[in-house]
Amino acid sequence: MTTTPDPATAAQAVFVESAEHAGPGEAPEPQQQGKQKSHGQFADMWRRFRRNRLAMAGLVVVVILIVLALLQPVISPYDPYDQNLLNTLASPGGDHLMGTDALGRDLFSGLLYGLRLALLVGLLTMLGSMTLGVTLGALAGYRGKIADGLVMRTTDIFLAFPFLIGAILVVRTFGTGVFQVIIALVILGWPTAARLMRGQILALRESEYVEAARSIGASDWRIVTRHILPNAIQPVFIYSFTSIGVAVVAMASLAYLGVGVPPDTPEWGRMINMGIEQVQVAGKDFLWMFPSAAICLTTLVFAFVADGLRDSLDPKLR
Amino acid sequence: MGKFVIRRLAQAVMVVIAATILLFIGLFVLGDPFASSGDKVVPPETQAILREKFGMDQSLPMQYLTYLGNLVTGDLGIDLNQRRPVADMIGAALPNTARLALIAIIIDVIIGVVAGIIAAVWRYSFWDVLVTIITTLAIGVPTFVIGVWLRQTVSGVWIFPQVPRSFTELAPWYTEVLLPAVTLAIVDAAFIARLMRGSMLEVLRMDYIRTARAKGLGERTVIMKHAFRNSIIPVVTYVGISIGILLGGAIITETLFQYNGVGYLLYRSILQNNNPVIMAIVTFAVLIYVLLSMIVDILYAYLDPRIRLS
Amino acid sequence: MTGSADIDLDGPPAPLLEVRDLRVHFKTDYGTVKAVDGVSWSVNEGETLAIVGESGSGKSVSAMTILGLVPSPPATFPSGDIFLRGRSLLKMPERQQRKLRGSQIAMIFQDPLTALNPVFKVGDQIAEMVRTHQDVSKHTAKKRALDLLGEVGIPNPAVRINQYPHEFSGGMRQRAMIAMALANDPHVLLADEPTTALDVTVQAQIMALLEKLQEDRNTAIVLITHDLGVVASYADRINVMYAGRIVESGTADEIFYSPRHAYTYGLLSSLPRMDQSRQARLQPIKGIPPSLARVPQGCPFHPRCTFATDACLPQVPELMPVDGAGHSAACVHSDRVAIAYDERVTQ
Repeated sequence: MTTTPDPATAAQAVFVESAEHAGPGEAPEPQQQGKQKSHGQFADMWRRFRRNRLAMAGLVVVVILIVLALLQPVISPYDPYDQNLLNTLASPGGDHLMGTDALGRDLFSGLLYGLRLALLVGLLTMLGSMTLGVTLGALAGYRGKIADGLVMRTTDIFLAFPFLIGAILVVRTFGTGVFQVIIALVILGWPTAARLMRGQILALRESEYVEAARSIGASDWRIVTRHILPNAIQPVFIYSFTSIGVAVVAMASLAYLGVGVPPDTPEWGRMINMGIEQVQVAGKDFLWMFPSAAICLTTLVFAFVADGLRDSLDPKLR
Repeated sequence: MGKFVIRRLAQAVMVVIAATILLFIGLFVLGDPFASSGDKVVPPETQAILREKFGMDQSLPMQYLTYLGNLVTGDLGIDLNQRRPVADMIGAALPNTARLALIAIIIDVIIGVVAGIIAAVWRYSFWDVLVTIITTLAIGVPTFVIGVWLRQTVSGVWIFPQVPRSFTELAPWYTEVLLPAVTLAIVDAAFIARLMRGSMLEVLRMDYIRTARAKGLGERTVIMKHAFRNSIIPVVTYVGISIGILLGGAIITETLFQYNGVGYLLYRSILQNNNPVIMAIVTFAVLIYVLLSMIVDILYAYLDPRIRLS
Repeated sequence: MTGSADIDLDGPPAPLLEVRDLRVHFKTDYGTVKAVDGVSWSVNEGETLAIVGESGSGKSVSAMTILGLVPSPPATFPSGDIFLRGRSLLKMPERQQRKLRGSQIAMIFQDPLTALNPVFKVGDQIAEMVRTHQDVSKHTAKKRALDLLGEVGIPNPAVRINQYPHEFSGGMRQRAMIAMALANDPHVLLADEPTTALDVTVQAQIMALLEKLQEDRNTAIVLITHDLGVVASYADRINVMYAGRIVESGTADEIFYSPRHAYTYGLLSSLPRMDQSRQARLQPIKGIPPSLARVPQGCPFHPRCTFATDACLPQVPELMPVDGAGHSAACVHSDRVAIAYDERVTQ
């Protein structure tokens, strides 16, 4: 969050006198000017990103979460599926860090397993919908005409279904399972990425440097890969972080509604459902608090990272 | 302008037709509501009788056309469970959902636009920082989790009815609708506030704002007339889209609060494989979305005269 | 100056608009930006004063300060004042200042496309200007807008009045801006690069229009531009600004035919001239204007100056009278400049 006052920009706004020299003349950063040229745009983004404390904190937690998910088989104190009907609804503390659920399963182990599942689904969904969306969006944007019409009308159709409802219908059609959930989320998620990509390409296709590349006879392939994609990809890159959060919540929502993963899977949405619908014993709030906090934390940190990236891409908007 | 509306209308009709075909295939071809599944065993003879009764023995294109024809005349079919007309079921649930969506939108637009304007106009002030912090948090927290927490902590307190519901006690509608509406509104309000802030900041940098000030207009007129009309355009687009998202989100929010709306009905129908009801509700949702995005486009053209020409 | 209605009885007549030792500074992370640093000038009814300088020389900030549109903070005004008929503008409360904006002092801007609000009809924007300062009905204001559009030479004003800015061409938009600025017959018109964004043929039309309107109304025009060529035939007086200061001031003839500051010399040498029989070789000024947060020591122009010697370094040269009554320059080498210019012109 860059909320510190920045009088330089305010002063600069007053200084815009004519279009010719507006810019570095008024707010001197002599050392950085030379640097910026030698660095790539992602290096530049990273430099600004690092200064954003909230985003950096988010990134650190994201990394911790990924490490935890990878180490889950090793650090999980119990088998998340192991039931112990003699020790159900145990409160947090003692042998069970976060207590046990209605079937006597260790909640902490379940949460870890749920984390692994959530990140797996989030990442694969992101990769799937980004690959599909970026390819088709780029095709539509650059080729125009028939390809554009075809892709855009298809996205219209998919976007006409509310995200969650569409996902439920797809999972219902293909059956229960993690893989099916991913498929459903990709089917519902790619049109957004495609639209984003297409918009970027359309804007860049008419830009002067692309015209220049075209005028010296660069091939379509070279123009797209060298001149358009690197510039168009940034917003898509940012959106990919947002989309991981979206996928994590979507899976939890589906599971809460009883669609998607098998009922006994230690999945956050299932755990919440069990905590608030099936167990209605006073004082057992930890059953839904821990998994909902886990969802919250995961989406929050991904949102912080996405936010930080957005700001580092376009610092003047904050 | 007329040409623009007609072209947009044709596009909308195409999308609805394509989406319903897709839906039809998904529901009736890939999933057979009468097939045996798990421990539910249905004898083949019974299946045949049921299929005939619900018109599913005919060819698919025929079924689809029949459905479309019925849809136009307002006949949504009969539900598979209790043989009630689907139209009646939706008719009972729809006002509740409409009320929910409307109240949620009123809440989020008012809060979002006001907060966004305040944050932009008094940039870097205490209020701006506050808005930035709250929106950053609110956008990261999923509606689903907000709903869970509100339900578990606030329901049953003060005027808010207890969830899970006791079916003997009837709460007045305005107490029932509040918590789900707030749940739906929080994230959206944060989005709108942010959108409004960014858009307002951008507009305030424009030359025509300087012109307005140079005219000797008061700051209030400069912001509420010259800047507002320009900066509200992206918000209008977003609200249009968000109504669609709201209806999609209503399934989880309504289910969480056991609110008798279309979303809760859809959830129960999905659990019961009640295909005609699912088909009708999703078709309805698609129609609403397509209609809304069309209205947004037209409104957009009205707000920004530059678009009208192209 | 003769026939001014507002002569102050207690003393000599105050100029219509006077800027006295004005300083506008901005505190930034990179140091204090001295956008305007001790500038004085005045202008009277019917006069045209040109302020010429590169971008970042502080000329637009002076204009915005006159209108009271420089936000403070971050701006500070360490010294100086601005007087409209002897009344201080800087000390005036905002509410009163606002009443002057658009009625007594109006402004037109460089880019007429972005300076007009895209979502309101051109006629409504002009009518708004009228209704902000005059208590008239909507209908009367609209009628006035129609007359104004006709006066600034927009064909078919009855149709144009109901169109949006994007339906106007660049020149037409600037005419509409001028119509808006003149809606309340202001005494002073600040024109900030009014022709820079326009085609060359349109530039001349706009300048001619401004001149004609000025004659009709006896308006004082402050013409801010980076282009000496534009002001040549229109300005009565020219102030050349560099790095927040006036470096040379004089009549158009004095500036064009006997420049006494090295910077003015540089500007003229980089300008194609048609008033000279043999065209001297064009010589651009080397380098770029300094950042206003780090103005070089001594004469701010010396790093780019072909005349510079050690004499330029110790202090900032003061604006000193050179020849003639009103001609002054802030240059240590003003005599060498004069000689060099003569040689250049006659070579």
